[in-house]
Amino acid sequence: MSKDERYDVVIIGGGPNGMTTAAYLAKCGLHVCVLEERVECGGACETVEVIPGVRIYPHAMLMYAAPAPGFEQLELHKYGFRMTWNPIDMMKSLSAGNTTTRGVSPITEKDMMGFAKLGGVLGQPPFTKELMRAAFWCPPHPPEVEVTDENVPYMQVYKQHQPDVWSHELREWTMFDLMDEYLESEPFKVTMAFAAWASGAAGHWEGVAIPALLCVQLLILPNTGKMSIPRGGLHGYFHAIHRCAVAHGAVVRTTCPVDEIIIEDGRAVGVRLRETAASGGKKIWASKAVISAVDYQQTFFKMIGGQHLDPGFIQKVKDISLKNGTLYVSTFHTRKPLQWNSKFKAMTESETSVAGPFNIPSGGVYPSDSRELYYENVADCDARKSLPTLPPEKLMWFLTPSQAFNPTDCQGSHSKGHISAAFEVNVPVPEYQVEGPEAQNEKKDELDAYMRKAFSEALDGLEDENIIHHWSATGREVEFRNTGLIGGTWCGSRHCSDQLWTQRPIPELARYRSPIDGLYTCHQTTGHPGALCLMAIPYNLMHILIEDGIAEPGNWWYPSPYYIPQEGKVSAIPR
Amino acid sequence: MATEDIFGHMFEEFPDESEWDVVVIGGGPNGLMAAAYLAKAGLKVALAEARYEIGGGLATEEILYPCYSSNPHVIYHMMVDYMPVIRDFNLDGPALVWIKPNSQTGMVFEDGKSLLLTRMIEDTKDSISKFSFKDAVNFGKIMRTWRRIVDEIVAPATYVPPMSPLDLTICMQRTEIGQEMLELVEQSPLDIITDTFENDRVRALMLYASCMWGLDPRETGLGFFVPLLLTRGMNKCYCYGGSHKFASAMAREIVKAGGLILEHAPVSNIIIENGRVAGVELAEGRTLRSKVVMSTLDPHTTFLDLVGADNMSADLKEAIEGWKYDKWSYYTLHIASDEPPHYKCDDPWINETFMTVFGIESTDQLLAHWDNVVAGNISDNFGGHATCQSIFDPTLSDIPDKSISFFQMHAPYEIGGGWDKRGEELKEAILGKWQKAAPNMTRDNIITTTFETPVDIEIRFPNMRRGSIKHGDYRPIQMGCFRPNQECSSTATPIEGLYVCGVSTYPGGLVLGGSGYLGANKVAEDLGVTKWWKPTPEMEKYIKTYLE
Ligand SMILES: Cc1cc2nc3c(=O)[nH]c(=O)nc-3n(C[C@H](O)[C@H](O)[C@H](O)COP(=O)(O)OP(=O)(O)OC[C@H]3O[C@@H](n4cnc5c(N)ncnc54)[C@H](O)[C@@H]3O)c2cc1C
Ligand SMILES: Cc1cc2nc3c(=O)[nH]c(=O)nc-3n(C[C@H](O)[C@H](O)[C@H](O)COP(=O)(O)OP(=O)(O)OC[C@H]3O[C@@H](n4cnc5c(N)ncnc54)[C@H](O)[C@@H]3O)c2cc1C
Repeated sequence: MSKDERYDVVIIGGGPNGMTTAAYLAKCGLHVCVLEERVECGGACETVEVIPGVRIYPHAMLMYAAPAPGFEQLELHKYGFRMTWNPIDMMKSLSAGNTTTRGVSPITEKDMMGFAKLGGVLGQPPFTKELMRAAFWCPPHPPEVEVTDENVPYMQVYKQHQPDVWSHELREWTMFDLMDEYLESEPFKVTMAFAAWASGAAGHWEGVAIPALLCVQLLILPNTGKMSIPRGGLHGYFHAIHRCAVAHGAVVRTTCPVDEIIIEDGRAVGVRLRETAASGGKKIWASKAVISAVDYQQTFFKMIGGQHLDPGFIQKVKDISLKNGTLYVSTFHTRKPLQWNSKFKAMTESETSVAGPFNIPSGGVYPSDSRELYYENVADCDARKSLPTLPPEKLMWFLTPSQAFNPTDCQGSHSKGHISAAFEVNVPVPEYQVEGPEAQNEKKDELDAYMRKAFSEALDGLEDENIIHHWSATGREVEFRNTGLIGGTWCGSRHCSDQLWTQRPIPELARYRSPIDGLYTCHQTTGHPGALCLMAIPYNLMHILIEDGIAEPGNWWYPSPYYIPQEGKVSAIPR
Repeated sequence: MATEDIFGHMFEEFPDESEWDVVVIGGGPNGLMAAAYLAKAGLKVALAEARYEIGGGLATEEILYPCYSSNPHVIYHMMVDYMPVIRDFNLDGPALVWIKPNSQTGMVFEDGKSLLLTRMIEDTKDSISKFSFKDAVNFGKIMRTWRRIVDEIVAPATYVPPMSPLDLTICMQRTEIGQEMLELVEQSPLDIITDTFENDRVRALMLYASCMWGLDPRETGLGFFVPLLLTRGMNKCYCYGGSHKFASAMAREIVKAGGLILEHAPVSNIIIENGRVAGVELAEGRTLRSKVVMSTLDPHTTFLDLVGADNMSADLKEAIEGWKYDKWSYYTLHIASDEPPHYKCDDPWINETFMTVFGIESTDQLLAHWDNVVAGNISDNFGGHATCQSIFDPTLSDIPDKSISFFQMHAPYEIGGGWDKRGEELKEAILGKWQKAAPNMTRDNIITTTFETPVDIEIRFPNMRRGSIKHGDYRPIQMGCFRPNQECSSTATPIEGLYVCGVSTYPGGLVLGGSGYLGANKVAEDLGVTKWWKPTPEMEKYIKTYLE
């Protein structure tokens, strides 16, 4: 067994957040080591070739990160970052309408203008990028600063660029309240609210109207209006980040799960690997910091343990809510391509159709009739926390935009059949499931069949004879296959106002510091802005590591214009 | 208004056109190796890989989705002890951990008897002596010579450019062990094994171990491969965490040295300007310009598809068209199960063996099965080898304490009845046979399965034409300085700036670490770049004894 090693910084977890942090810190000249449990880094940014020639994205697939400072600061283009541009202009194709039980519901001029206005597109000049960056790419204000309508970054942007949108209510509203103010058609609002639930904060949660709306818009507006994806999927984008880290000298160790964070005199000084790790259960020492880029449950309950934490803190961490949508994702391999059924002729016939060049249904929420239906779905999943009780025709589902728009890209066409986009359904968090955490696994065949029935309400082609494969993963399976995805959710802790921004996931952890000196957190479950592969948590964390004298970036660095330094610390604003 | 004006400039992408010293096509073991050596030598290297992940045959993937990963291709690493790349980059220990079990290859028979080939010679002799005391003695004796042939000649020669048969004969005359090797050349594997062993089951195991990678049992000219494949077959390593780790480790060396890797970047064209190479075009439309292009693909793809027949002499074109792909491919059935297989046999060590052969009862049956496969059929007499990977590597399963195994057998690319139909049938037949050999492999024990046919291999890797895992058959006229042909076996080709260094080039198939290493050496020499690496001590000794 090799000897113990020492680095400046040890990062636990090689998902997008851990690896981006490694890239930033290695670029600062620090000696960094990333320890990843699985054989391949990437966390939830994965591509799996389930059968030869058929590739699916079990988790992340869409690119929300376009405004990230990381593209410039880490120069990802030098490490092979490329896009595959969707020829379909989403803004136009949206006009094909929303799918309801009655057929296509058109999107109105008012809907489009309201959507554009809130996204900064109608500003003079447009301020989309500033707005997005303010909402996601800025560390939460320090605890001594009172959070006000004047100093919340996105409020500052609206005030400056679109003052008529700025109002005190903006920070109290639900997304539905906001949409009622600016948009018109109910199915459009319901679609957006549901898409937000699968992208950020749900449409019905208090006080997160703007973060919720902007999550959906991140998908469309900054990608110059197209729901495009990185070449090779999000794993391709991840590769550029990974290579940037390695090129700057970061050491990456795969098959190296961490079991313990070593604490001496109240300070994190290293980690101990699990016995099954490729290098055995050895210790790896960190002179400057240990950064946990895995979920808070493992970090605090498994790797640290109660003796180093006070009961008040432990209770708060225990109470962090995971109810942010555990996604049961299905992907189909079919003989004939799936088609919108006759109710939705408009979706396939219009020139700007959402069907894409291979005529594969792409992007949508069904059924988007009314918010009553939306609430019934929420109640089934988050209130009853049971196996579905709604009849399949009432189940709401989200169909991601198809990736098959470019035959040379990852999920391009396949000679023996057609690959669908991903179908996502919200199911209860396994550990909250009233029938017990294994219920989804035990009932997997039934759940698969139930969902096929639900999807068949809007699509043709899901009959048994047409299906070659139906791949799905229950919330429970998601937890096992990627240990960071606690609750089986796509983002871990809920993006509600009690767990966002300066409260994410609890105030004690909001600035990425922890009660243990030298230990920082950097995972979607533990810090603002939460989920998605945005390079945001690492960028925000950089401000804090500069404050603490750990990172000293070169002149490639620039902080968020809305960042407020903590009293008594080094400012992350270059002098 | 342009969309960019509305939303603002967001991010930059990799440029449409870029300049490199060297472009490598294909991110399998050889491409990665070539790129890593040259990048570290200070050259500006770009590697273009068609798949979403580098590695080629070095893959560890969740093919039993969700939750269970397997090594769909390379699992048995036979040249770890010799490969220069592992030493030159110091990959052992820090980046890679090799597991070399003592129980290497087992064979179980219907009557519950078994045979075992082990890393430590006495355990093999013990096992053979259950069948024939004489064979055990002979095995010990012959291995003394064969190990020297491998250690002193065949293994180090893997990493030294090929010689013509005549030169080779002259050089080998220099030593006694060289002469012994020459004697083997002229015998067929079957002759060598039949002459050495008397017991038929012992012969069957030895024949399986020597010819499973594609040596023709009855052909003469390549007999010296028998010692190599047998001794290396007793020293196979498993890469802990999965074979893909080997690929990732090499990829990180490329990037650390400033090289670029592009995945999802199939090369669609090798640009030829004024009769020499000028770069490559990717299917996505981007161009990587360079004066040197190293292709690790099969000869047909490199020369006819990417360079184009118009750009080469008639002789070269003819040589390429005459290239013969592997005579057989593989069919692999992967399984996740609650328990690992427990074989019904007289030796409990079989359950911990790296590779377990079953379904083969005699040399005649083995030969009949292989003949069948070459003729495009698989009948009930088939046999093959199984490995339970999770015994060595629990990390492959995301669910604790589950087992992941596979059964692999030789299979024709074109099969009577077609693979669509035969794939499923064969799976059922294998499960039946497996349960006979290991009674606990019942349907209840099995969680999920997936299989890969020869056609599937080609779908994953179009360069493994006809499912050719070695990109071309092992036959005397396609080996040594004839691989892929006399004009190209040094890795340089008649097309200026174009090099070939995949397994269709000398020394050939499997993960030997040879072609890519030799390609890097040649390019470094041709470009006048200082090599930062030196030959391994074994190579130096070989060069001194035979070549100087
Ligand atoms: C179904 C689904 C769909 C999604 N869709 C999108 C999308 O379209 N676009 C988008 O941007 N985002 C999407 N996301 C969200 C996005 O994938 C996550 O927000 C992101 O991956 C979180 O990154 P992370 O680095 O914080 O954590 P993770 O991705 O969870 O990475 C954590 C890493 O740590 C490793 N690890 C865990 N435990 C240990 C240990 N003990 N020791 C060492 N390593 C350990 C894990 O193996 C993993 O690699 C989706 C997520 C899901 C589940
Ligand atoms: C089922 C199976 C089992 C095997 N088992 C073993 C084993 O146990 N031990 C062992 O040593 N060997 C084994 N092998 C053989 C081994 O995988 C190969 O011999 C080895 O991988 C060849 O290495 P290479 O680098 O020359 O080419 P490859 O590994 O074939 O790599 C070539 C790369 O080029 C890429 N490519 C193809 N076309 C293009 C293009 N147009 N542009 C860019 N890139 C392209 C491919 O995607 C691939 O990644 C096995 C193979 C198979 C299929």
